[in-house]
Amino acid sequence: MAALTTTTPRTAAPGVLGHRAARKLAVLAVLAAVLVPLAHLRWAGGTWPEALTVDLSGPLGAAGDWIIDNRDSHPLFLYFFGHVSNAVVVSVRAVYLTLLAAGWAGVTAAAALIAWRAAGPRLAAGTTAAFLVCGLLGMWVPTMQTLALMVVAVLASVVVGALLGLAAGLSDRMDRALRPVLDTMQVLPAFAYLLPVVLVFGIGVPAAVLATVIYAAPPMARLTALGLRGADKEVLEAVDSLGATARQRLLTARVPLARKELLLGVNQTIMMALSMAVIASVIGAGGLGDRVYQALASVDVGAALAAGIPIVLLAVVLDRVTGAAGGSLGQEKRGPRLWLYAAGAAAATAAVALAARLRGRPEWPTGWTVDIAGPVNRAVDWMTAHLYSGVPYIGGTADWAGRFTTWVLDPIRSGLLWLPWWAVLLAVAAAAWLIGTWRTALTAVLAMAAIGVLGVWKPSLDTLSQVLAAVAVTLVLGFATGIAAARSDRFERLLRPVLDVFQTMPQFVYLIPVVALFGVGRAPAAAAAVVYALPAVVRITAQGLRQVDPAALESARSLGATSAQQLRQVQLPLARPALLLAVNQGVVLVLAVVIIGGLVGGGALGYDVVFGLARGDLTTGLVAGAAIVCLGLMLDRVTQPAQRSARKGAGHGTA
Amino acid sequence: MALAAPARRPADDDSSTPSATPVFAVDGLWKVFGPGADRVPADPELSALSPAELRERTGCTAAVRDVSFDVRKGEVFVVMGLSGSGKSTLVRCLTRLVEPTAGTVAIDGEDVRAMDRTRLRELRRHRAAMVFQHFGLLPHRTVLDNVAYGLQIQGMGRAERRERAAEMVAKVGLKGMEQRRPGQLSGGQRQRVGLARALAVDPEVLLFDEPFSALDPLIRRDMQEEVIRLHREEGRTMVFITHDLQEALRLGDRIALMRDGRIVQLGTPEEIVGSPADDYVREFVRDVPREQVMTVRSAMRPASAEEAGSGPALSPGATVAEAIEAVARAGAPARVMDEGRCVGVVDSDTLLGVVAGVTTASHERGGTAPDGSRPDAGTV
Repeated sequence: MAALTTTTPRTAAPGVLGHRAARKLAVLAVLAAVLVPLAHLRWAGGTWPEALTVDLSGPLGAAGDWIIDNRDSHPLFLYFFGHVSNAVVVSVRAVYLTLLAAGWAGVTAAAALIAWRAAGPRLAAGTTAAFLVCGLLGMWVPTMQTLALMVVAVLASVVVGALLGLAAGLSDRMDRALRPVLDTMQVLPAFAYLLPVVLVFGIGVPAAVLATVIYAAPPMARLTALGLRGADKEVLEAVDSLGATARQRLLTARVPLARKELLLGVNQTIMMALSMAVIASVIGAGGLGDRVYQALASVDVGAALAAGIPIVLLAVVLDRVTGAAGGSLGQEKRGPRLWLYAAGAAAATAAVALAARLRGRPEWPTGWTVDIAGPVNRAVDWMTAHLYSGVPYIGGTADWAGRFTTWVLDPIRSGLLWLPWWAVLLAVAAAAWLIGTWRTALTAVLAMAAIGVLGVWKPSLDTLSQVLAAVAVTLVLGFATGIAAARSDRFERLLRPVLDVFQTMPQFVYLIPVVALFGVGRAPAAAAAVVYALPAVVRITAQGLRQVDPAALESARSLGATSAQQLRQVQLPLARPALLLAVNQGVVLVLAVVIIGGLVGGGALGYDVVFGLARGDLTTGLVAGAAIVCLGLMLDRVTQPAQRSARKGAGHGTA
Repeated sequence: MALAAPARRPADDDSSTPSATPVFAVDGLWKVFGPGADRVPADPELSALSPAELRERTGCTAAVRDVSFDVRKGEVFVVMGLSGSGKSTLVRCLTRLVEPTAGTVAIDGEDVRAMDRTRLRELRRHRAAMVFQHFGLLPHRTVLDNVAYGLQIQGMGRAERRERAAEMVAKVGLKGMEQRRPGQLSGGQRQRVGLARALAVDPEVLLFDEPFSALDPLIRRDMQEEVIRLHREEGRTMVFITHDLQEALRLGDRIALMRDGRIVQLGTPEEIVGSPADDYVREFVRDVPREQVMTVRSAMRPASAEEAGSGPALSPGATVAEAIEAVARAGAPARVMDEGRCVGVVDSDTLLGVVAGVTTASHERGGTAPDGSRPDAGTV
């Protein structure tokens, strides 16, 4: 708990919390004084006691075997999952064949036309360039595979998410039931979803698509519900006062009023789907993610980069185009002209595709590819030879990674493992209660205990140690950069495009550069996690500091506070909710990548999942997946500020 | 601070004979929010409690308490009160946007509370349209489509409703802005759109819920003029909610003054200013320039024989301010002439008495007791 306990005092002004915090700690101490000796007497020792674990391998193995045996005969599979699976396969195949039939020229033309319509000529040019680069890198076919899978998954996610969101937006009971589920799904690492899906569908495209849908639908559902619920009450009352029926009210007022959130939901769903479609290569998605996965497995950085660049380009293009479509909303004219345009675009695409086909070039011409794998690998080899170690004074990258492992990761891990199990639970309870409420503390402790019960205490603490180290680094760098960005407009202007690009990239891609720089192991996994989580932390910190009430700042200035005093005494305390949110987001994002780090030698839970998948040993994988869920739940709850107390805290700050 | 719009106000409302059915007839209306709200109006002990006591005893808030009034055809009926007095809830009860707890509401003699959903929708679509404080416009629609929205709800065809809407847009002075969106308009222009939307369905009654409170003072004045103009041109019945006394006095044929959910006084502006029912109302109207609200009718004294024959002539509806000017110019008492007959005279003493509020005018009139029987405000 070292990292968390050191960060808490910095984010929470001690004067604000002091009294209440002391009381909570006292209660906890009393509780511990009673329970710990009892627990210690019965189950002494550092690690989770054997007596308290439940071995799930038997029943889980049996369940797995049953599913595998009955997959072809049981009605549930024949009449439900079988149809789902077939429908997915057929639709992905159909989209894929359509894309191939359109040829590279047709697809590029269609994408450019859509981008032009939604976002203007500049993004159309960017889109064209992005698709051409995909072809140039020799990645046209994998790109189309990923795109086909994405199209199907996004459509399904949007439909499912919108329906769930509609239900939650219109019915309070549905909202109360769905919200905690969606909130929790939002914080779980993508890896946790893979195994249950594989269990039912087996490895392959259907499993990949469904895992993607499960991962990508929640934001759509959340934002749809949010949009429907956030509608201006008086507008709805006005609509009622004119005598609208319930259906008219929904279609002419509530849905159109929520269109900003709906489009944002589509945008987020697309980004999440891309992220997951790439990760799902582990369970047979194919396409670009598979290329990266294979290349990383053999530490072939050049090949990984050649597949990684199209992923990044796809991400940036998709994000900008859908984002621009949302931004330009309201100005454009709707109605028949949209259909006219769609028809025109389709005709133009068909013409381009046909022209390319007549010239005999539906596929990307082989002569036009540029092999970057070779040069990149040579560069990496050079780096390995010259930068890995022995650079005078600063040492090499591998040295840094080694030092980070021995001086930071190892001590934290051995420290956590040395702590008695009840001490870990107590630390979790204390941290969660100090930041949040007793409810969040209880959930966190139960989640942590569940990990012990599952019998994966050791690998979970290993993962936890990596998360803590990475979060500490992320927060130090993130808060420093965020404060700098909040204080200097120029710095923020420089930073913004960088953050924009970094925030749109799928998690998977971050593994490529760290492997090139640091090789494999736990340190590169932590480094990838830091890079992935940093943009969000910087952005939330800077925004929180900038949104501090200008009147409070002005009054501090008028009293002659120095800029350091302003920062310490006004901005940071008032921005406390934002800082806590940054911690929470940082923890969630770091965990997601640390788990994926199992692919590049991060070990622990992530490795168990990959291992389970690779060996067909679903029991190990499922238990690890469940532990990931618990760990995610625990970390999220520990850092989840109680809404009310956070606001109250801010109020005290002003007084 | 010119308050009165004398030309508008009818000299008398003989047109509305007592036998004519009122547009809205409200009787013993209650709206109670909170758990077990139904029992409050029924229980004489609970219903007599003050708001604070009621909240303490039952956890309920009574927004409207035993309110009764009639809205007559063609009049502007103003409900006035400070925030929290229950006036917005009251106007929503009229079309059941807020479901009343007890009492009756009738429109043209038809019981609104007994209506089924279809009938109620019919009422909202064709008979009563509302204008809202924050406009309630649909931001994704153009001005024209916002105005046409009510007609679209009714199922009118696209071309027809747009034509009708264009007419209404022109009527409220927004010609040329049909294709703009609400976000591109100023507050005053948005409220004109809200007004046009309500007018487009050609309702029998227009309900205004503090329509101009969110506007700048100058724009507010313009909009008040607009409402006065519309009322003069079309004679449509209006129920107007406001917290602004000046607005109430400018627009209202009759004013119901609300406090804590009850009507404390109901009468013409002149009655409210001239004979406040209690100290609350008196305090409320203290700063009103009385000479601009009171008419010579309440200032005149019986004429002696020689006075009846000469001097400047005034109509009974003329304000005291006008009379002061006439008396000052002539240097003699002025005659109050009704249909060629002298009904009284005003001189500087009587006029001064009205301005000072120490009037010893021949007859006190019009004041209604707060809890008395149905205020009979038809007599002026």
